[in-house]
Amino acid sequence: MSVAAHGETIAAVSNYIFPNDFHVHWSLMIVLYPYITGLVAGAFIVSSLYHVFHIKSLKPVARFSLLFALAFLICATWPLLNHLGHPERAMSMMLTPNPTSAMAGFGYIYSAYFIVLLLEIIFIFRPVSVALGQKATGGLKTLYSVLAIGSDNVSAKALKLDHKIIGFLAAIGIPMACFLHGYVGFIFGGIKANPLWATPLMPLIFLLSACVSGIAGIIVAYILLRKLSGKDIDVDCVQTLIKFLWGFFILDFTFEMLELFSHFYMANHHWHTLEALYSGPLYNTFWVAQVGIFSVIPFVFLMFMSLIRFKDGLLLFFAPVISVMILIQVLLMRWNVVVGGQLMSKSERGATTFHPMWLEKEGILPAIIIMVAPVVILWLIGKVLPFWMDDKGAEAA
Amino acid sequence: MEKKYKSAYYSHVVKIALILIIAGGLGVWARGLFLPDTMGQYGHYRGSDLEDQRNVELRNHTNESCYECHRPIRLIHKAGVHKTVSCEVCHGPYADHIKDDKYVAKMPVKRDMEIKALCLRCHNKIIRARPEESIKVVAMPQHLEEKKVDVGHNCNQCHMVHDPLLWVKAAYEMMGMEMKGDKK
Ligand code: HEC
Ligand code: HEC
Ligand code: HEC
Ligand code: HEC
Repeated sequence: MSVAAHGETIAAVSNYIFPNDFHVHWSLMIVLYPYITGLVAGAFIVSSLYHVFHIKSLKPVARFSLLFALAFLICATWPLLNHLGHPERAMSMMLTPNPTSAMAGFGYIYSAYFIVLLLEIIFIFRPVSVALGQKATGGLKTLYSVLAIGSDNVSAKALKLDHKIIGFLAAIGIPMACFLHGYVGFIFGGIKANPLWATPLMPLIFLLSACVSGIAGIIVAYILLRKLSGKDIDVDCVQTLIKFLWGFFILDFTFEMLELFSHFYMANHHWHTLEALYSGPLYNTFWVAQVGIFSVIPFVFLMFMSLIRFKDGLLLFFAPVISVMILIQVLLMRWNVVVGGQLMSKSERGATTFHPMWLEKEGILPAIIIMVAPVVILWLIGKVLPFWMDDKGAEAA
Repeated sequence: MEKKYKSAYYSHVVKIALILIIAGGLGVWARGLFLPDTMGQYGHYRGSDLEDQRNVELRNHTNESCYECHRPIRLIHKAGVHKTVSCEVCHGPYADHIKDDKYVAKMPVKRDMEIKALCLRCHNKIIRARPEESIKVVAMPQHLEEKKVDVGHNCNQCHMVHDPLLWVKAAYEMMGMEMKGDKK
């Protein structure tokens, strides 16, 4: 019987998926969760490049990227709390740790990383807190004294001790940042029932795209904030960031493509489903947007910007534009993985569609609120701790 | 010449270490305080949750529950080939229809061409959700073409929904013929 002869039955089948697969349970919130943790991990890597690997030209953003990471880390749990509902039960995860549940591990992995990041910030900013605390009055004075852990000692001996501790924290922070984000990738990579997710490359791809998004986020924030406050921009620093962005993006993009290619080349029995997915519901968001527009174009630009020394003005124009494109690329990648993986039926027959709504509990508006929150938090942090070395009070360091 | 400081050069490090230790201690204390008594009684969950789950109101029932009130359907359904198929699959959950043994809301009933979609959910040849031995499948419109009828026919014009072979068997019997693979 030819396919055409089936006519009506085929029509009933296209888009047929079993009822239990009909709903995309992991929607925008679960897209944002790896996106935000990725920004955190990436920003932390930028600061570590300076603090651990001594890339001197990154000094202007080294401290800022820690505060940037903190602001986003504070919000990293929000999408999950909103998605799961019952935020009041969140602590159960800490009370009853479950060694056999990867998802339950989040509580401890997140908290450990949070403590390390917070300690590093406290140590790095301690001289600043001490200096600012001496001038401040009232509640702010108390806050600075808490931030300085009640110590006013900024003698050479104390700073030397601090320096050692900072080096140590930054050093253990790198594997922890990698672990935090590799773990998020593992959550997906470990789901063997889903052929789009189940690949050992998933943690690696998540980690690399995290670095990429973090660096891009720092570039955008640095240039934007400096421009807005009328301060001059360290072109050398931007140039170095662009080079690292390119480096990480080469790896990221290559592995993203390699992952797809290995599916294609192995062509195991899942491939026909994946192929249908990539050429069907994901065609626009994956091939056109993620790969075509937001990977290839930035890739070429980053290459030129790294290899050829652009005029300052040109560099400072393209750097944020390309970085924003990269930020969109990573967001699209999260979307295509998280939502894309749920668009196909687990029976591997048919695919569904997903359109986010504006006002749902996990809709576009809550997503925007959650993405704006870290920016507001960062602004509040900026009221207390100076972002830049040339800010008032910062020279104490 | 060294400036005089109030605190020792290592005091903040000691304080942080103390804070971390105290926080850890508080965590252990809070765990003891908040951990449900029956946690871990049977496995990695709250033992008393079994009790809670038992008290959750059932939304779905068995066909036997439906039969109590729907005697005519019972006579047909129980005797037919659909006897293993749950009423609720085609209609809806018991709890939306009956509360405390009383009729509270209408049960959904598929009509017209919705019926066709309903039948094909399980009997579609292309989907082949189950092996042929457990569910017979048909392709449309071939199934109707074989029967030499207009392809616009609906399933329930030949198949009684609650016993799909009731009329078919009757028709075979009337013509004195045996149905292929008759299960009786
Ligand atoms: C295979 C799907 C299916 C199953 C199983 C099924 N029904 Fe139905 N039922 C239908 C459809 C379809 C109709 C509507 C028939 C029509 O309009 O011709 C219907 C009609 C009815 C009606 C008459 C309602 C009306 O307004 O016409 C009752 C009552 C009913 N079903 C009860 C039951 C009970 C009780 C069971 C279980 C013993 C059951 N059904 C199992 C599909 C099913
Ligand atoms: C406590 C008795 C009772 C039970 C149990 C019961 N029904 Fe009904 N059902 C009724 C009554 C009463 C009506 C309304 C009959 C009428 O209006 O003629 C009805 C009507 C229906 C109808 C027609 C649509 C409607 O709501 O008017 C369907 C279909 C139906 N029942 C299916 C079921 C199924 C399936 C079950 C089992 C899950 C079930 N019923 C269990 C009492 C019951
Ligand atoms: C929930 C799945 C389901 C739905 C929906 C369903 N059926 Fe069935 N059907 C079955 C099962 C299960 C059997 C019994 C198979 C067996 O025991 O051999 C069956 C048996 C049959 C048979 C007898 C096949 C044979 O020769 O053994 C016919 C005819 C049939 N169904 C027609 C229909 C029609 C018409 C509808 C729509 C009103 C329908 N079915 C809806 C599951 C379903
Ligand atoms: C013109 C009457 C007619 C219509 C309409 C009709 N059928 Fe049938 N169907 C039959 C007859 C008669 C049989 C008995 C088997 C046979 O003799 O081929 C049958 C058998 C079946 C069987 C069992 C097939 C097997 O391999 O034993 C299924 C399943 C079935 N029908 C489903 C449906 C569904 C679903 C629809 C609606 C989309 C439908 N039928 C519409 C007449 C009809």
